[in-house]
Amino acid sequence: MKRIVLSAMMLGLLSPQAMAQTITASIAQDVRSTNPGVNRDDTTDGVVLHMVEGLVGYREDGSVGPLLAQSVDMSADGLTYTFKLRTGITFHNGETFSAENVLWNWTRYMDPATEWRCLAEFDGRNGLKVESVTAPDAQTIVMTINQPSAVFLDALARTDCGMAGILHYASVNEDGTWNQPIGTGPYKFGTWKRGEYFELEAFSDYVTPAGSAPDGYVGAKKPLAEKVRFYVISDPETIKAGLLSGTVDLAAVASTDVPEFAANPDFNVADSVDASKHTLSLQVADPLLSKVEMRQAIAAALDLPTLVTQVTNGSGRPNNSAIFPQSMYYSDVQKQAFAHDLDKARELLAKAGYKGEPITIIANKRPTTPSFETAVVAQAMLQAAGINATIEVMEWGTQLSRYFSGNYQMMAFSYSSRFDPALSFEQFSGPKDTTSGKVWNNPEALKLIDEGKAVSDPARRQAIFDELHTLLLHDVPMIIYSNGVNDIVSNKRLEGAVSWQSKLRLWEVAKQ
Amino acid sequence: MLKFAISRIIAAIPTLFIVSVSVFFLIRLIPGDPASLMLGDLADAASLADLRSRLGLDQSIPVQFTIWLGNILSGDFGRSITSQQEVLPLILGRLRVSAEIVLIAVLLASVIAVPAGMIAAWRQNSLTDVALVSIATVLLSIPAFWMGLLLLLLFVLKLGWLPLVGYVSISQDFMQGLLYIILPVATLLLHEIGVIMRMARASTLEVMQLDYITHARAKGLSEAAVMWRHAFKNAFGPTWTLIGIVLGNLLGGIAVIETVFAIPGLGRLLVEAIFARDYPVIQGCLLMIATIYVLVNLVVDLLYPVFDPKVNAQ
Repeated sequence: MKRIVLSAMMLGLLSPQAMAQTITASIAQDVRSTNPGVNRDDTTDGVVLHMVEGLVGYREDGSVGPLLAQSVDMSADGLTYTFKLRTGITFHNGETFSAENVLWNWTRYMDPATEWRCLAEFDGRNGLKVESVTAPDAQTIVMTINQPSAVFLDALARTDCGMAGILHYASVNEDGTWNQPIGTGPYKFGTWKRGEYFELEAFSDYVTPAGSAPDGYVGAKKPLAEKVRFYVISDPETIKAGLLSGTVDLAAVASTDVPEFAANPDFNVADSVDASKHTLSLQVADPLLSKVEMRQAIAAALDLPTLVTQVTNGSGRPNNSAIFPQSMYYSDVQKQAFAHDLDKARELLAKAGYKGEPITIIANKRPTTPSFETAVVAQAMLQAAGINATIEVMEWGTQLSRYFSGNYQMMAFSYSSRFDPALSFEQFSGPKDTTSGKVWNNPEALKLIDEGKAVSDPARRQAIFDELHTLLLHDVPMIIYSNGVNDIVSNKRLEGAVSWQSKLRLWEVAKQ
Repeated sequence: MLKFAISRIIAAIPTLFIVSVSVFFLIRLIPGDPASLMLGDLADAASLADLRSRLGLDQSIPVQFTIWLGNILSGDFGRSITSQQEVLPLILGRLRVSAEIVLIAVLLASVIAVPAGMIAAWRQNSLTDVALVSIATVLLSIPAFWMGLLLLLLFVLKLGWLPLVGYVSISQDFMQGLLYIILPVATLLLHEIGVIMRMARASTLEVMQLDYITHARAKGLSEAAVMWRHAFKNAFGPTWTLIGIVLGNLLGGIAVIETVFAIPGLGRLLVEAIFARDYPVIQGCLLMIATIYVLVNLVVDLLYPVFDPKVNAQ
C-alpha cells in the first residue's frame, strides 16, 4: 500500500501538469537588481514589476490609473493629491498594506542614500517638488506639490522609477541596505541564479485590481501559473532553439524569425507597438543642417513608409509623431506625416545652397533596434535625391556618448518609451547651451512643452500637442519614423501571453 | 625548482602591474560613460551628475587609479557598476564555471589529439595520416560558435537528449552537471583537437627525422618503444607549450561558447562588462586573465623538464 502511495506521489510530481505550472520566458540580459527604480534597466523593470506595485500605474493608452490606490483626487488648484488606498491588500510576507507603509516608502525613496533614480523628479531639481506627504488615516495618503503638474502621476507611474513601488519594511536589512523585494505584486521573489535565470512564485493571497483583463500595469493581474522563470539567453539563435525545443514558452524574437514561427502551427506570434521612438536625429547646430530647408529636404527625400517596411521586415507601422498610436492624445493632427517628394527635396536643397557636402549618419548594430538598417536604407534614399550621405557605424556606448555631446550630423537613434506626450517631446527637446544632447531647441516648442507639463485639462493639452507636432514637421529637428515593435512568440500551451511596452507581462497568463 | 618558481612569480609582478595600468587607462580611452549607459536616453543632467558622483567618475583619472590600485593591493577589487556585486567573488564564481568546461575540454582534447597526431606522423602519407589531417583541418576550420549551434541543433532540437540552457557544477551534482556541460565541452573539444593534433603531428615528424630515432631503430627497438621512449618525450615539448597557450586563451575567452549555451562564465561576463563600460569588472577580469596566463605558463615551464630531459628548471 505504502509503495502504491509513493508511486502515485512520484507520478504526481513528475506529471506534465506539475511541470506545466512553470512558465518559462527568455530575457536578453540578466536582471540588474531587485531594488525597484534604483539599479535598473528595461529588462529589470519588466521582471521586478511582477513583484512590486505602486499607488498608480500606466494603462494601455498611456494614461495613469490607480493600482494600490482605490482612487486619486486632485484639488482644484492642482497642488494636492489624495490617494484612497485599497483595502485587504497584503504583502508577500502576509503583513497588511496601509498608509503607514506608503509613508515609510516615500521617506526611503526621498533619502539620497537609497539612490532612487527618480529622486530629481520629486525634489525640485527638475522643477516639481513634493512638499509634504501625510497619512490622515490608515487608508488615505495626501501629497502636496509645489506647482500644478500634469505629469506628477506619470512620474509616480513610470516603470523606470520602479512605479515608486510600495515595499514592506523587511525588504531592507536593519542597516538600511537592500535585501529583497517584499511587495504586493501577483508574483513574489523565488530564486535568482545570476547569469542563468530569475524565478518568481505565484502570490496565492494576491488581490487583483478591478478589471476583466490586463490593462497596461493596472486591470486584472491574477497569477495563473505556479512559477515563472526568466532564462537569461542573449543569443538569438539559442532563443529560437529554446522556443522550438519547448525549453522556453515565450520570448521576443528578431523580426527576421517571425515568418518562420508564424508558419509553425505550434506557436502564436503577437506583435505589439510600444511607445519607444525610432528616429533619424539631425544636429540643428551643424553648419549645414542648421538651415531648415536642408532638414526639410532630407525629410522630403525619405520614403518613410518604405523605410519602415524595410527595416522592420514589415511588422512596423509608420508614425511621425512623438505620441504613440495607442495614446488618447493620438489625434488626426498627430497622424500628419512627412511627405515623400523628390522634386521638392531637390528644390529645397537648391534653396539651402547645398553643394554636395557629405552628411554622416551614425548608427549602431545592436540587435534590439533597427539603427544600422535604417542608416543603410536612408543613405540610399538620400543619395537618390542628390544628398551625399555616408554611414559611420559605432558601438552603442560610443554612439550614446556622441549623442550626449551633440557631436554628430545625423544619427539613427531610438528613444525609450515615454507615455505622456509632454514627457515624450521633452525627451529630445531643450536648450542646447545647457543640454547639448537635446535635439530640438526651438524656444516656441520649449514653451509649449512646459505648458503641456503644467496644464491638466485634456482638451488644452491636445491643442498644445497638436501644435507641437505641426511645428515638429516644419522644423524637422528629427525624423520620427515609427514606434518600436515587439515580436513575441509563444507556444500554444500558453493562454493570454502578450507583451506590453516591450516588457513580458506574465500575469493573467496560463499554461495548459 | 623552487627558486625558479619564485623567480618567475616575482618576474610576473611587473607584468601584472603593466597590465593593470594599461587596462585602467585604455578602457577609459574608449568613448562612452558608464553613467550615461546605465541611464540611457532617460538621463537628465541632475541624475547623471548624481550617478557619476556615486560611481566616483567625477574624480580625475589619476585619483581614480590611485584609489583602485590601493584597493587592489588590499584585495578589494571594488563593486560592479551594473550589478553592484563585489568584483572578486563575482569573477571567481564565473571563472569556476569557465574553468570546469575548459579544463575538461582541453584534457580530453589532449588525450585524443596527441596520440592521434603521433600516429599520423608515424604513418606519414598513409591513408590514416591523410584521414587524421583532414579531420583536424575540418575541425580547425569550423568556427566554434557554428559548431556549437550545429551540436545544439542535433542534440537538443532533433534528438532532444540534452538540455538547452542552464548550468549545474559537476562538483554539486555530477550527473546533472554532465548533462549541462556536454555540449560546450564537446564544442571546445572538437575545435581544440584540430589545433593540438596538427602541432603534435608536426613536432613528431620533426623528431622522427632525427638521427637518434634512426639509431634507436637500428638498435632493434620495437616501434612502440621508439615512439614512446624516444619520439614522444622529445616531440611533446612544443605541443605541451601549445596546450598551455590554448588553456590560457580559453580560460579567458570562451565568451562565444558561453553566449550560445547561455553559460554564466568569465568570458561572457567580460564582454557584457565591456558593453556596459563596467570598469571595475573589466579591470578585474583582465587582471585575472593576465594572472591565469602567467600561472599557466609558469606551470608549463615547470613541467617542461618532465617531458624534455634536455631542459632543466634551473
